Amino acid sequence: MKLAFVVQRYGLEINGGAELHCRWVAEHLKKYFDVEVLTTKAVDYITWKNHYPANEDVINGIPVKRFGVTRARNPERFGRIQNFIFHQEHGEEDELKWLEEEGPLAPALIDYIKTHESAYDYFIFFSYRYYHSYWGIRAVPRKSILVPTAERDPVVHLRIFKDLFRKPRAFVYNSEEERRMIHSVSRNEDIPGDVVGVGTEVPEFSSGDRFRRTHQVDGDYIVYVGRIDENKGCHKLFEYFLKYKKETGSAVKLVLIGSTILKIPSHHDIVYLGFLPEQDKFDAIDGAVLLAMPSFYESLSMVTLEAWAMGKPVLANARCEVLQGQCLRSRGGLYYADYAEFREALDLLLNTPRLREAMGLNGRKYYRENYTWEKIEDKYLGIIRGLEGG
Amino acid sequence: MDNENPGGVPEPEIRIDYENVDVADIMAQIRARIALRPPVPPEEPADLEEAAPVFSGSYPEGPSEEPPAGGKGRAKRILLKIMRPFAPVIKLLVLPVNEELVRTVRVLDHTNKKLDYLSAKFDHDLHQSAAGLDRRIIQVDQALNQRIDELAGRLSTTMETVKLLHNLSHNLVVEITKLKIEHETLKSKVRVMEKDFEMLGRREKALEKEVSS
Repeated sequence: MKLAFVVQRYGLEINGGAELHCRWVAEHLKKYFDVEVLTTKAVDYITWKNHYPANEDVINGIPVKRFGVTRARNPERFGRIQNFIFHQEHGEEDELKWLEEEGPLAPALIDYIKTHESAYDYFIFFSYRYYHSYWGIRAVPRKSILVPTAERDPVVHLRIFKDLFRKPRAFVYNSEEERRMIHSVSRNEDIPGDVVGVGTEVPEFSSGDRFRRTHQVDGDYIVYVGRIDENKGCHKLFEYFLKYKKETGSAVKLVLIGSTILKIPSHHDIVYLGFLPEQDKFDAIDGAVLLAMPSFYESLSMVTLEAWAMGKPVLANARCEVLQGQCLRSRGGLYYADYAEFREALDLLLNTPRLREAMGLNGRKYYRENYTWEKIEDKYLGIIRGLEGG
Repeated sequence: MDNENPGGVPEPEIRIDYENVDVADIMAQIRARIALRPPVPPEEPADLEEAAPVFSGSYPEGPSEEPPAGGKGRAKRILLKIMRPFAPVIKLLVLPVNEELVRTVRVLDHTNKKLDYLSAKFDHDLHQSAAGLDRRIIQVDQALNQRIDELAGRLSTTMETVKLLHNLSHNLVVEITKLKIEHETLKSKVRVMEKDFEMLGRREKALEKEVSS
C-alpha cells in the first residue's frame, strides 16, 4: 500500500508544529507502507518563499516531492484580507481569496495529486487551513485522510471549511477537544476518526544533575521549553512568576529553553539558555520540579507529553481548552486562568512533593497508554484498516 | 490544618487523594480558596501618621528685642546699634527659621507618601477589577463557545432537515407529475376502451340483426 503525506513544508530544519508531527508519523509508518511526501519548496511560514531548489529529495529514507510556490505571501495584504473576513459580512469567494493568500500557493502540487490519484492508496493531509489541504482533499476526497491540527481560532468557523470537513474518508485528531470542535462546526460525526496525536520518545537516561552542572543552575526550578513568544503566553508567565516570587519570597527559578522573539525580563532567577540540544532539553526537564506550559493555543503540546513521559507534572494555561483537557484526563498537571490561580497552583505543586510525584506517575501512565509510538502506529493502522474494510 | 489568609480568615486546607488524584477537584478547592480571600490592599506607609507633622501655627519664641534695664544697658544698646546691619543674618542663625522649612518639607513628604499610597491603592483596585473582569471574560467566553457550538449544531441539523424537506418536496413533485401523466394515459386508455366497447356494441347489434334475418 502506498501513502502520500501532504504537508505545507517538510525538512529537517523545521523543528515544530504540524510539519514535525507529519515527519515523525511518516518516518514511523514507513515500516508498514510505501511512504512518500508531497510538499512545497518553502521553509519560511510567513512568506512561503521557495527555498529548496530540488524537485525531489530523500529525507531519512523517505522520498520527498517538492512543488514550487507560485506567489509568495504578502503579509500586509494577507492581514488586510484576514481582517476583512473576520470582521465583515463576506461571501465564500472572499474566503477563497483569503485561502489563496494564506497559501502556500502551489497549484502544481494539486495538479500532481489530481493526475496521480491512482498511484497512491491514501493521501494523508496535515493542517486543514492551508491551500494544499483544501484543494488537495477536494481533488481526491475518497482517498483523503485529514490530520486537521485545528485550534480554537476564528479560521475554523469559515464556511469553506465546514464543507471541507465533510469530504475526507477519515480524520486523525490530536485531542478530544479538537474532535468536539470540528464535529460542532461541521456535524461530520458520521466520518470515521480517532484521537491519535503524535508519539514521543524520551531518552533512556536523563540527568538533572548533569544539567545543573553544565548550566550552573542550582536550587529548585520550573522549566519552559518552546518558542518564547507572546502567542505562547510567555509574557504572562514572566509577569506571574515575578509577582509570585515577590509575594511569597520563594527561591524557585524559571529556566527557559528555546529561541526567543520576546524581551526576557532581567532577573537573577530567570535563566535563559537559548536553543539546546535534545539531550540537554531532556536533562533540564529531568531536573525541574515541573514544566510550565503557558500557551493560549495548542492543538497538542509535544513538550507537555515529553514532560509526562519523564514523570514530571505540568502547570498549564487553562485558557487553552486542549491543555486543560489533557491535564484533566492525564491527572498529571494543574492549570490556571489568572494570577490568583497561578499562585495557588504553583504554591501547591512546589510545596507538596507527594502531589508532584503522584501527578508525575499519572502523567507517565497517560503517556504510556496513549502516546508511545507503538500506540500511535496502531491507531493509524486501525484507521487505514477500517477504511479498507478490514 | 487550616491556614490563615491575609485577611485573617482561615483558609481550608486543600485535600488531595494522592492515590487517585482528581485535578478538577483540586482546582475547585483552589478556586473556592481564592473566592474566600478578601482583596488585599497595597501596603500603607507604616509610619504615615508619625511622619505627618501637624503644623501647630506657633513657633518657639526668639530672644526679645527689648533692651534690659541696668548699667550695662548703654554699652549693650551701642553694641546692638553696631550689630543692627547684621540683624537679618543673626536672626537667621539664631531664630528657628529652618524649622519652618523642615516642617514644610515634612508636610510635602507626607503629601507625597499619601499620593504614593493612593496611587498604589488605585493600581491594586484596578488590578483586582481586571482580574475579576478576566475571570468573568473566561466564563462568558466559555459559555459563548458552548452556545456557539450548540447553535452551530442546531443550525446544521436544521439545514440538514431543510435539505431533506427540499429533497422530499422535489421527489413529491416528480411523483405527482408522474402520477398525473399516468392518470392522463389511463384516461385516454379508458376513452379508447369506451370507443372499442361502443364499436363492439354496434358490431354485436349488427351481427344480431344479421343472425335474426
